[in-house]
Formats: sequence, structure tokens, C-alpha cells
Amino acid sequence: MDQPLIRLEGVHKRFGDLEVLRGIDLEVRRSEVVVIIGPSGSGKSTMLRCINGLEPIQGGRIFIEGVDITSSKTDINQIRQKAGMVFQQFNLFPHKTAIENLTLSPMKVQGKSRSEAEQIARDLLDKVGLSEKADDYPGTLSGGQQQRVAIARALAMQPDMMLFDEVTSALDPELVADVLNVMKTLALEGMTMVVVTHEMGFAREVGSRLIFMDEGLVVEEGDPRVMIENPREERTQKFLGMVL
Amino acid sequence: MDQVIKYYFNTEILADTVPQLLRALVVVAEILFFALLFSFVGGLILALLRISRIRVFRWLAGIYIDLFRGLPLLLVLTYIYYGLALVGSEAGLDFLILDPIPAAVLAITLTYSAYSAEIFRAGIGSIPHGQMEAARSLGMTNTQSMRYIVLPQAIRVVVPPLTNELIAMIKDTALASVITVPEVLQKSREIMGRVANPTPLTAAAIAYLIFTLPLIRVASRLEKRFGKGTRPIGM
Ligand SMILES: Nc1ncnc2c1ncn2[C@@H]1O[C@H](COP(=O)(O)OP(=O)(O)O)[C@@H](O)[C@H]1O
Ligand SMILES: [Mg+2]
Repeated sequence: MDQPLIRLEGVHKRFGDLEVLRGIDLEVRRSEVVVIIGPSGSGKSTMLRCINGLEPIQGGRIFIEGVDITSSKTDINQIRQKAGMVFQQFNLFPHKTAIENLTLSPMKVQGKSRSEAEQIARDLLDKVGLSEKADDYPGTLSGGQQQRVAIARALAMQPDMMLFDEVTSALDPELVADVLNVMKTLALEGMTMVVVTHEMGFAREVGSRLIFMDEGLVVEEGDPRVMIENPREERTQKFLGMVL
Repeated sequence: MDQVIKYYFNTEILADTVPQLLRALVVVAEILFFALLFSFVGGLILALLRISRIRVFRWLAGIYIDLFRGLPLLLVLTYIYYGLALVGSEAGLDFLILDPIPAAVLAITLTYSAYSAEIFRAGIGSIPHGQMEAARSLGMTNTQSMRYIVLPQAIRVVVPPLTNELIAMIKDTALASVITVPEVLQKSREIMGRVANPTPLTAAAIAYLIFTLPLIRVASRLEKRFGKGTRPIGM
């Protein structure tokens, strides 16, 4: 029970000669909301993508619910269903309606019936405040609406954890709050979350832990409220000074 | 003016030519139907091999595509019809001796599969990587992601270039006359020889244009529409 949902052990990731992750250790326990900050290019997205098995790693190990996803014996498609991922650029399927975006994978991957998948999808669209947009195509929705559909789409797979990669960065400022509210609700419901964001308000309100990454390493981590007020490391201070 | 009409728009000869050309058009339609179908499937398979993770597949598909894009269709036609038949009769391999129409379908398919492959590859390449990633992150396999997410979007992108390809294919069926396929050009030349008047060629030209002109209009309209719409939504 006490086993961490996510565990990274000395993870190294290289793109050719560029070493993007240089030995990352991280543990995320059930219902934790881990907020990750750091300058652009520090490897935050890459780390999330590694956790989701979208990038092979060159060193170290990654465990999801105790299963080593870097082992060739592991069915990565199975593991991915446990971790929902939401991207900065939404990545909704433009040729499918909102509800079809939600039902496709539950039907094709999990073998759910259409009616069951649609039931789940409608509940989720309702939850993100978009029930009346079910039959609309992504292209007709605002960025904020698209991102909420994308969150609902990930939730439709009924994952044990959610990974968010700067999901509000591409949004107009007035649309950010709706998306953050959905995420806060999720956090309060006990969803395990890893959230890459520069929204310090979110970190303060619902973050259980704050991690500052720079140049492929975890530089500092701690309680968000404490760390935001009193960062220990100079690099953290500098960075927080810029985003706050 | 009278001379022009007499030689190029001779109504008597036209009336005589049209029924025969109609029969030739049926042959052309038959060739087009199969060649289009097969080269669509062949092109799609080649494109998928060309971007496959397996190096040998990529490599073989690449060689095939370059080879057939680089050869004149006329040569391929001649090879398939006369070349294979020669080998077939020497070696007693009867299956190599093809009738003209199947030979034409095969040659056009082989060549146009290579063109289609490049079109499909570009179409697939135009779909943002994030689509594949989103699909994968939802637990879909590579194949499912291709089938449900990437290809349905890519097909829309490739409709205009494929329409242009069909136009080229229609015109290229005329090349099948060299392997004695009774298609439009072959027929009209035959009649021209008999009546010593080029009016049958005019009839042939009209026959081609009846097919190609509407498609040309369709293609340019599609290009305009898809040109606007290809910017992926939400990317
Ligand atoms: N697919 C890739 N190929 C090569 N380099 C990459 C690739 N993805 C990311 N990088 C590089 O890795 C570094 C970290 O990128 P990223 O994880 O996106 O950082 P962050 O999300 O913190 O801004 C950057 O220097 C980036 O250019
Ligand atoms: Mg990033």
C-alpha cells in the first residue's frame, strides 16, 4: 500500500550528445500532488515523457506501481493506461468530436462498450463543465475548453495518476483559471498528480511537494509554501524571483 | 476555315468514331479502376514501410520508390508486356505472358504506387507528432494510433495531390497503346489511318478532356479548401 505510484531511480536521458536528464531520483506517493518547476530546457517535459514511456532512457530505472517500465518484459501500453497525460498543446484529435475524443481509447484499448464509454465520457465532460460541447469538434472550442476536454480524455481511461505538462502555458490568461480549477478539483479528490507548471498559486494551494529542476537535475524540493517563501538554493531563488 | 473543319472536326467521321471511342473508354475506365485501387493500397503500404521502425523495410521501400519514380512508365509497360512475355515463352513460364490490359494495370500500378507512396508519406508527415503522442499516451498501440488517429487525418491531406495523380494516370493510359491495349489513343489512331483524316484525334482529345477537366477543377478547389484547413486544430 505504501509503495510509491511513481519511482525514478537515477534516470539518465540523452538526445545524442545532449544529456537532458542527469540522474533523476523521484518518488510520488498515492494522492500526492507534485509540482515541478524549472527554467525552459531543464528537462521537465522529458521527465514526464519518460514516466509515460514515450521516451526510452539510457540509464536508471522507472517504476510505475512497482512495475519496472524500462524492462523489455513490461507491456508499456498497459502501463500508459495507468498514467493520464495532458500536453501544453492539447493534442486533441481534430477529426473527432469532443465525446469521441473521450470514448475512442476506452473502446479500442480497454474494450469498453460504446454505451459504457459514453456514460463515462458524459460524466467527465460534465465534470469539466463542457457537457453541452460533447458533439462539437475541437476546432470550434476555445483553448481553455480544448484543454479541459484533453484532461477529461485522459481521465476517461480511469488512470491512477495524471501527468500535466505546462497545460496552461498556451492559453490566454482569462482561460487559465477554468483549467486550473479542474485540476484543483482533481487534486482535492485525491488524484495523484505530477504537474509541470509556472502557476505558483496552484503549487501553494494544492501542491504537496514542490520540485525545482535545472539542467537535468533536481536542485531542491520541499513543501511548496515553505520553499516558495524560503528557497535554500541560489538557483531556486533566482528562478522564483523571475516567475513570482 | 472549311479546311480546318474538314480535317479536324469532320462531322461524318466524328459520328463514325464516337461509338468506337466509347468502347475504348470502357477499357480505359477498367484500367483506371484497378490501377487506382491497387496503387492506392500499394502506395499506402509502401509509405508505411518507408516510415517503419524496421530499417530493412524502410530501405527496401525507399529503393522501390526511387526506382519506379525514376523510370519512364513507357519503359515499364514495355518491360511488363514484351519483356516478361519473352522470358515466359523462352522458359516455359506461361504466367509471365500477360494480356495487354492486365499488363497495363500492372505497369501503371507499379509506377503509381511509388508516386502514391510519396504522397502518403508527406501526408502522414504533415500530421503533428503530438497526435501520435497523445494516442500513445492513451494506451493505443502504434498500429491503433496510425489507424484511428494519424491515417484518417492524413487521408484528408492527400486527397488533392491524389486527385492530381488520377489526372496524370488518365493521361498516361494513352501510353498503353504501345502494348496494343485498345484504349482511346490507339483506337483513334487506327481510325485515322483508315479515313486519312485527323478528326478521330480530335474526338480522342475531347474524350480525355471530358474526364480530366472536371477533375482539374475539383483538384484546384480541394487544394484551396484543404490548404486552409490543413493547419491542425489545436496544435
Ligand atoms: N526529441 C528531442 N530531440 C532532441 N533534443 C530534445 C528533444 N526533446 C527535448 N530536447 C532537448 O532536451 C532539453 C530539455 O527539453 P525539455 O524536457 O522539453 O525541457 P523543459 O520541458 O524543461 O523546457 C532541451 O534542450 C531540448 O532542446
Ligand atoms: Mg517543457
